[in-house]
Amino acid sequence: MNNNQPIILVGDNPFHGISHLSQERSRARDNAVRKIDHAADLVLISLENGANGFMFSVSETSLSILRSLSRRIGRQDLKLYAIVPYMYEYVRLATQIGGISGLARRMAKQIVLSANMQAVTSGMKGLIRMDPSALLEAYLFYEIARIKSSIRGQANLDSVMLHEVATEMLLALNLDWLAKSYIDFLMKLGIKPGFETRNFSYLVRKFTEWNIDFNTIFIAAPFNKAGFQMNPSRRECEKALKNLPTSCLIAFSILAAGYLKPPEAMQYIGSLPNLEGVAVGVSKKKHAHETFSLLKKKLVQCLPAHM
Amino acid sequence: MTYSGNKILRVGVVGLGKMGFMHASLLSVLPNLSLRVLCDKSWVIGNISKRLFSHSEMVNDIGKLEEDYLDAVFITTPIPSHFSVAKALYSQRITRNLFVEKTLASNFNEAKELCRLAEDSGGVNMVGYHKRFSVTFMRAKDLLDEEILGELDSFDAYGYSSDFSGVNTRSKMSGTRGGVLKDLGSHVVDLALWFFGDLQVDSANIESLNDKGSEDHVYFTAKRSDGLRGCFDISWCKKEYRMPEWGLTIRGAKGVLAVNDDELTLNLIEGDSRKWYRHDLNDNVAFLLGAPEYFREDESFIKSISGNNYITSTFRSAANVDYVIDQVYTQCGAGEN
Repeated sequence: MNNNQPIILVGDNPFHGISHLSQERSRARDNAVRKIDHAADLVLISLENGANGFMFSVSETSLSILRSLSRRIGRQDLKLYAIVPYMYEYVRLATQIGGISGLARRMAKQIVLSANMQAVTSGMKGLIRMDPSALLEAYLFYEIARIKSSIRGQANLDSVMLHEVATEMLLALNLDWLAKSYIDFLMKLGIKPGFETRNFSYLVRKFTEWNIDFNTIFIAAPFNKAGFQMNPSRRECEKALKNLPTSCLIAFSILAAGYLKPPEAMQYIGSLPNLEGVAVGVSKKKHAHETFSLLKKKLVQCLPAHM
Repeated sequence: MTYSGNKILRVGVVGLGKMGFMHASLLSVLPNLSLRVLCDKSWVIGNISKRLFSHSEMVNDIGKLEEDYLDAVFITTPIPSHFSVAKALYSQRITRNLFVEKTLASNFNEAKELCRLAEDSGGVNMVGYHKRFSVTFMRAKDLLDEEILGELDSFDAYGYSSDFSGVNTRSKMSGTRGGVLKDLGSHVVDLALWFFGDLQVDSANIESLNDKGSEDHVYFTAKRSDGLRGCFDISWCKKEYRMPEWGLTIRGAKGVLAVNDDELTLNLIEGDSRKWYRHDLNDNVAFLLGAPEYFREDESFIKSISGNNYITSTFRSAANVDYVIDQVYTQCGAGEN
């Protein structure tokens, strides 16, 4: 833990219409949650009630929320945790415009049009050398610039996290060199690198093998009493967490997508070792108030490091 | 040929689109398996893949592979090329065990030919109807096998996504993906055939929503020889369906069962109602990428090669899906899409 305050993040899933419990439930939700100003309201209410950061996938929706927030907050201790790439948007785009090749062409065009010279230069280097590290750098330059121009200096970009699908592919293909190049690149920019995963114990095993320093990264992973999306099992994930040399976990899906009630969910979360923070999405103002008040109380009570 | 459990299985993937990358990644975490070769025609994809899959050989033409070179191949190219790629792999004896992403072929005649080639090879064959590995549909299948609904009366099936919602001009991809019936509808047709057995199409309608000639919405009805009737509604222009979703509502003498990707609800006339979410059905896997069913599917195919598993989604069962799709096109006078 790098300060005396637990990291409590409001997540953006409900703003994109995501429910991992049931898509039917998401469709039945009030559409207001997908309106930008309402979503920004929810973030602000969450911040007033104990949250201190916003975790979001970098998409047009979340960037619009950042723009709305930038107009409504003064410079304050709001921490941003960005997840890239917004895989849903890119997969959908690939479907519509011609698969991975079409997507690569579209991305190249967007980066060139952004006139972000760092991104363009890295991208050219990557294309000439067929170098995935340079291509990743170009992409990160591009996304970081989009985030910063949206929030206009009103919050700190604390971490950029690699989306779970990208993380799982790094793990599956043993791409230690790419993971390390991603970490080095972000650290040079003063941004803490993060990895979102639904294979927590596998990631801990691999990163240990690859000699990655857990002090330098965040890991965002599902942890909940129901064991939902804790692969291969809740027990294995808990074991891996216990054996981590340092606190670097940001737990999400703590309510197992609404399957668990907040008090029992928070009791479980409070019992975990090596917890650095949590991320929770809310779709109603009442929930934002209740959930974050309870979370703050519970986390401060349960985590001696944060007392 | 059966594969000894101690041997390292040599596997190839043909076609490095998103499904190709996903299968290649999942295969990389399975034990006793070497991802020996990857094949894609694109120069850019090939060169990037060389760096990402440094332990695999990269080729741009399956003709370059030798006889008996691989123990198994995954075909993840666009649907129109499944037949020619699979036929070449069998006829050049490059492998005897084939996994083909859905649909098996572009039409029933091609599918029948592939079934014949597969049987001649004596190997294991499978088609990527991954919804058979989703915990909610698996539980529904178990309940139906237990005849929990008694005699079946009717069902409604759907497959919806927003993939082409709000797309104003016809995307070239909507065509290469085979139209909405093959791309999205084939999954729920496969589930219905798995649940109910053979079905005959008796009416069908195809609608273009985005542009003239695009196949965006398909509705058809089908029946079983004993009178069970079903309706299928397939669309990739449903704005509110953020993710593709498939589902069935099944009515029988004893009650109603509704199942989709997320949940299963059972309402019995006599007895309690029950609802299960994925959370209740042990949905975890050894390695999650995309959705748990993809891991189970790949693991199932690989285990079958070693003789330790029984595959339900074979070329033969997938050919029946192509048969139903052909019937829909015949009913609409559309011919092969």
